Amino acid sequence: MLSLIYTRRLRAAAVGLSVGALVLTGCSSGGGGGPEASEDSPSESAPEQAQIAFADAKASTGPAPEVPGATPGGTIRVLQRDSYSHLDPAQIYVSDEMSLATLIHRGLTGYRMNEDGTYAVVGDLATDSGQVSDGGRTWTYRLKDGIKWQDGTPITAQDVRHTFERQFAPFLTSGPTFVQQWLAGVNGAEFRNLLKDGPYQGKHLGNDVLETPNDSTVVFHFKDPQPDLPFALAMAGYSVVPKAKDTKQKYDRAPVASGPYKIADFKANKSMTLVKNPEWDPKTDVIRHQYVDKFAITFNHQYEDSSKRLLSDSGENKTAISFNNSVDAASLPKVLGDAEAKKRTVSGFQPYVGQFAMNMDRLKDKRVREAIAYALPIKSVLQPYGGPPSGQLAGGLISPTQAGYQKDYDPYDKLKKPEGDPARAKKVLEEAGKVGTKLTFAYVNTPEGQQYSVSVASALEKAGFDVQRKDLPADTYYDRIGTVDNGYDIYHHSWGADWPSASTVIPPLFDGRAIADGAKNYSHVNDPKINSEIDRIKKITDQKKAADAWFELNKYILEDVLPAVPTYYFKHVQLHGSKVGGVVFSDVVNGVDPTRLYVVR
Amino acid sequence: MLRFLVRRTLGAIVILLLISAFTFFLFYAVPRDPALLACGKNCDSESVALIRHNMGLDDPIPVQYWEYMSGIVTGRDFAAGSCPAPCLGYSFDDSAPVWDTLVDRFPTTLSLALGGGAVFLTVGLGAGLIAAWKRGTWVDKTFSSLSLVLSSMQIYFVGPLVLALLVYNNEILGQPSYVPFTENPVEWFSGLLIPWCVLSVIFTANYTRMARATMIEQLQEEHVRMARAKGMSGRTVFFRYAWRGSLIPIVTIFGVDMGSLFGGAIITEATFALPGLGTLAVDSVQELDLPMTMGVMLFAATMIVIFNIIVDATYALIDPRVRLS
Amino acid sequence: MTTSRPPTSPAETDPGDPFLSVRDLGVRFSTEDGVVRAVDGLSFELRRGQTLGIVGESGSGKSVTMLTVLGLHEPRTTEVTGQIRLDGQELVGAGERTLQRLRGNTMAMIFQDPLTSLSPYHTVGRQIAEPYIKHTGASRRQARARAIEMLDKVGIPRAGTRVDDYPHQFSGGMRQRAVIAMALVCNPDLLIADEPTTALDVTVQAQILDLLADLQQEFGSAIVLITHDLGVVADVADDLLVMYAGRAVERGPAAEVLRSPQHPYTWGLLESVPRLTGDVDQPLAPIPGAPPSLLDPPPGCPFHPRCAHRQRVPGDACATERPELPVGRGAACHLSLEQRRTHVIEHRQPGLG
Repeated sequence: MLSLIYTRRLRAAAVGLSVGALVLTGCSSGGGGGPEASEDSPSESAPEQAQIAFADAKASTGPAPEVPGATPGGTIRVLQRDSYSHLDPAQIYVSDEMSLATLIHRGLTGYRMNEDGTYAVVGDLATDSGQVSDGGRTWTYRLKDGIKWQDGTPITAQDVRHTFERQFAPFLTSGPTFVQQWLAGVNGAEFRNLLKDGPYQGKHLGNDVLETPNDSTVVFHFKDPQPDLPFALAMAGYSVVPKAKDTKQKYDRAPVASGPYKIADFKANKSMTLVKNPEWDPKTDVIRHQYVDKFAITFNHQYEDSSKRLLSDSGENKTAISFNNSVDAASLPKVLGDAEAKKRTVSGFQPYVGQFAMNMDRLKDKRVREAIAYALPIKSVLQPYGGPPSGQLAGGLISPTQAGYQKDYDPYDKLKKPEGDPARAKKVLEEAGKVGTKLTFAYVNTPEGQQYSVSVASALEKAGFDVQRKDLPADTYYDRIGTVDNGYDIYHHSWGADWPSASTVIPPLFDGRAIADGAKNYSHVNDPKINSEIDRIKKITDQKKAADAWFELNKYILEDVLPAVPTYYFKHVQLHGSKVGGVVFSDVVNGVDPTRLYVVR
Repeated sequence: MLRFLVRRTLGAIVILLLISAFTFFLFYAVPRDPALLACGKNCDSESVALIRHNMGLDDPIPVQYWEYMSGIVTGRDFAAGSCPAPCLGYSFDDSAPVWDTLVDRFPTTLSLALGGGAVFLTVGLGAGLIAAWKRGTWVDKTFSSLSLVLSSMQIYFVGPLVLALLVYNNEILGQPSYVPFTENPVEWFSGLLIPWCVLSVIFTANYTRMARATMIEQLQEEHVRMARAKGMSGRTVFFRYAWRGSLIPIVTIFGVDMGSLFGGAIITEATFALPGLGTLAVDSVQELDLPMTMGVMLFAATMIVIFNIIVDATYALIDPRVRLS
Repeated sequence: MTTSRPPTSPAETDPGDPFLSVRDLGVRFSTEDGVVRAVDGLSFELRRGQTLGIVGESGSGKSVTMLTVLGLHEPRTTEVTGQIRLDGQELVGAGERTLQRLRGNTMAMIFQDPLTSLSPYHTVGRQIAEPYIKHTGASRRQARARAIEMLDKVGIPRAGTRVDDYPHQFSGGMRQRAVIAMALVCNPDLLIADEPTTALDVTVQAQILDLLADLQQEFGSAIVLITHDLGVVADVADDLLVMYAGRAVERGPAAEVLRSPQHPYTWGLLESVPRLTGDVDQPLAPIPGAPPSLLDPPPGCPFHPRCAHRQRVPGDACATERPELPVGRGAACHLSLEQRRTHVIEHRQPGLG
C-alpha cells in the first residue's frame, strides 16, 4: 500500500492509484449530511448505496437553493498541499484540481447535492442530464440560455464541439479518455487516430460522431451503448473550453472561466486568488453558489501544517479551510478527542479500495488463496494509517461510494474477524495438503508498510505459510508490482473509481485481456467468465440493473476465482476554521464542497 | 579589478557548465520516467510515448543537453510559445516558464536570506564578541554553552515549537507568510520575523563560536600585543586590531552561507510553507521536473559562485596584502 | 663588535635614583597543570641613559619580566608580587588606565618579530601616528608629520611616501625600523627591546643596534635589551643580568661579566656563542640538558641538574641549598670565588669582553 502522502506526488499513472477519482455515496452519513456533519464513529458502517438519479430539466434549473444561514462577502483562505499543475480542464484528473474546477469550470452535466444529502446528476450547462436514444448509443444535450464565458460571450454548441475535438490533440495527455474512446469506438490510445491533430488543422469530427445541429444542441453518437455518459461528462476533464479563446498549450496556465469564480492571480507552487466572475448567472446554475468574494489559496501546506493551523483556529486561520488536505494521522486523535475541534471536522469516503492482490500465475491452487484470505489481518493493515477515521474495513470489492455496495457482504468473514482467522486458514491449507507453501510478500517500504507487513507476515505464518517479506521502495512500488513477471505472491494496492459505478473499477483490475506490464490487473487474473461479463454489463443501460450485475460479478470474482482480498475503503477527516460556514463533505470531489462555503459573520 | 572580474567570471561559467552537465546527466541516472509521472490515470505505452515526445525526452540525452544549454544563450521555441534567452524551458509539471518561476520565487528566498542573515550576523557576532571580550568569565561560559545548545537545535524542531508557542497557542504573532516588501513593509517584516529567527538559531550559534574563537586567536597575535604596548585602549585594540583580523574567516563563512541561502533555505521554507526557491527545488526534484530542477540548480549554483567572487573581492578591502589580479 | 661602547650619555653619570627599579619581583601563572613560577625574587635597577642587557635561554623569565613591567600580562591568571617602580611610580597593582598612559609614552616595547609586530591591516604611518595622537593629543596631520619624521630618523628612505605603505610592502629590516619608530615616537624614557634583532640578518642586526644606540644618545632613554645573544650584549649593554629559571643568577657591569663570568651557567652561555673572530673549527659547546620545569623547580640551585661543577661543592649543597645572589656584582653559586676565578683563567677565550 502506498502512503497517502505520496498519492499526489507520484501521480496517478505511476502509482496505479486513482488519484483524481469522482465518487459518490449519495447518503448523508457518507459525509454529506449538511453543515458540520461528521461521521467518524469507528463502529458505524456506511449505509447501502442509494441510486444516483439522472435528473430531468426541472431538477436542473437554477438557481441553487440557498445554504441556510449563508451570507455573502469575505475572503476564505485555502491551505493546499500541492499546487495546481493543470488548469486546462482537458488535463485535469487529480482530486485537488477537480475541487478547484468546481469553482471555475462548468461542463454539460454535474453533480448536485439534494437537500436530503443524496446526489443527482443534473444538467449543468445542459438543460438536463441528457436525452438518451438508440439503446444508449445516442445522447442529446441542449444548452441553457444565459450561460457565458468570463468575457461575457455566450457559451455555444460550437464551444462544446471544440471542447471534445481538442481532446484528441497530442498535447492533451493528462485528462480522462473515456468519452474520446467511446466516440472512436476503440480502447487505448489509438482513439487519437480519429482526429489526429484535434480541430487545429481544420479537420473536425463527423456528424456521425458528434453533431451540433444548432447553437444550443449537441448530439453524441457512439458505436456501443454508453449508459454512463452523464457520469463521465460530469468529470472536470470534460468541462468546456471556448473555441475563440483556446490558446492550446498556454491554456493550461490561463483558462477562461465559466463558473462563479475566475482566476485573478496564479503563481505556481505559491498562491492563487479566485474572485467572483460577474458574467456567471446564478439562474443558470443549480449546483453552485457565489457567497465568498475571494478565495486566497496558498500551497505547500503539508497535512501536518494545515492540521496545526486549522486546529489552532487562531487569527486568519479562523476563516481558513483546505479543500483537499486530510487531518494528518498524528493530529487525528487530538482533533477527534477535542469536542470543539471535532465540531469543525467533516469526514467522508475517498474513492479508493485497498486490497491484497494474489498473483494468479504463482498461486494456482484456489484453496491456497482461500487460506490467505482467511488468514489476512485486515485491521492491522488499516491501523498504521490511522485506524477507523482513515478507513472502513471492507468485505467486498465495491465500496460504499459506488452503486451496488452491500454493507453486510463478507464472504471470508473479514468483518467478523478483522484480525484474521489463522486457525481456519490452517485447516484449509491442511486440507489442500499445502502446509509450508512458500509465499513472497512484497510491501512498500514506508513506516506504515513496515508496520503492517509484520502483522500480515506473522498471521500468514500462523496459518502455515513459509513467508518471505520483501520491501520495495515507495517511489517505484507500483512499477515493481505492476510488472507481469514480478516474482511476488501477494502485495497490497489500492484503486479508485472514476464515478459511482463499478464500471471504472472491475474492468481495469480484473479484465484478463488487459494483463501487461504497467497495467492495473495486478493479480493477472484471466477468467473467461469475468471477461465476458465485463463486456456484457458495460452495455446495460439501466443503472439499477447494471449495479446489480456488477455486484454479482464482484461476488463471482471473490467467491469463485479469488484473485484479491479487499482490506478497507479509504476515508479521511478534514478540518476547517470556526468562521467558515457551509462546510459539507462532498462525495463528488471527495473533500470539502467548495461551492457552498461562506464566511460566518 | 577588471582583470580579476573577467577571470573569475570565466571560471564561474566553467563551473556552472560542469554543474549543469552533472545535474542533467544525473537526472537521467534516476530510474524513473517523468513522462510516466505525467501520464494520468488511464495510461498506456502509446500515451507515454506521446508525452515523451512532447517533453522532448525522445531525443538522445546529449542532444537534449545541447538544446537546453544553447537555449540559455539563444532562446528556444516550444509548442507552448517562444522562450527568449535566457531560456530555461518550461516546467514538465505545470508548464510554467522556469525563468519566470525563478524570478517569482526569488524575492521570498532573498527576503528570508537577507533578514535571517541580518539577525544571525548581528546576534551571532555580537554574542561572540562579548564572549571574547569577557573571555574566561561567566558571561563567556554562558554564551558558549548557550551556543552549543542552540547549534544542536534543528529547524524542523524549533520551527514548529515556536509556531505552537507564539502563533497557535498564544497568538502573539501572526502566521508566518511572505508579503512583498514593496506591497506592505510592515507585513513583510511581521510575516517573516519567525522564519528569520528560527533560521538564525543554528547560524547564530555558529557565528558566536566562530567570532569568539577567531577573536581570541587574534587577541594573541603579536601585533595586537604591540598595539597594547603602544598604550592603545582595550576597545581600540579589540575593534581596530583584533576585529580586523577576525573579519576574513567570518566574511568567508558568511559569504558561503549567504550564497547557499540565496539558492533557497529548504528546511525553513518547508517548515513555514514559504514559497521560495528551496521548496521549489524539493518539489521539482520529487516531480521529476527536469527543466525546473535544472533551473533551480543553476540559479543556486550561480548564487554560490557570485558570493564566492564577492567574498574574494571583499578580502581585498579587508586585507591590503590581497591584490585582485 | 669587539669593543664596548664608551659611556657618552650625560644621564649615565647621573648618580640619582634609578629610573626603573624592580625589587623582589615574583610572577606566577595559574595553568591547568598547576602554578608556574615564571619569575621569582628578581631585583634589578636601571638608570636613565643606561642599557641593561638581560640574557638567558628561552623560558628563563626575561620576556615575562618585561611584559609585567608594561602590565601586558593576563591579569586574571597572573599573580604579581614585589615592586616595580618607574620614575618613582609603583606599577604593580596600578590601574589599566594608568598603565595605558605610560605605555608607548613613558615606556615602550619592541617585540622580537618585526614581521608580526605590525598590523597588516593598517598603514605603517597610521600605526606610528596612533600612540602619538593618543599620548600627545596631536592632530592627525601633526601625527602624520611626526610619523614621517620618525621613519626618516630610523633610516627609511623616502619616508614621505613610504608612510602610507602597508607593512607587507616593507622589507624585514625596514619593518623593524618602523617598529622602533613606533616605539620611540613619544620619546619614551624607558625602551624595552625584546630580542629586537633575532629575526634579522647579521648586517641589518648591526644597523638596528647602531640605531638604538644613536637614539639612546639623542633622547637619553633607558634601554632594557632582552637577548640570548651575548655578542649583542657585549656591544651595547652597560649592565648585564643573567637569568635562569625565573631568577637572576649573575649580574654586574656587562664588560666585567663577560670578561670574568662567575656562574657556571654564564660560562655555558659564553661557550655556546659563535665568535666572529674565533677559530671557525672550534666546536661550540651547548649547555647539556634542558631548563627545569617552572611548575616544579628543583630544590637547591635550580641549575644544579645541568651543572658540571656541582661535585666540587662540598656536601652536595647545590642540590639542597639555594645560593643567594649578592647585591651588586656577583653570582648565585656555591662555588668559591677562587674556584670560579681558576675556571675563568683556564677557559679564557679571546674575543669577548
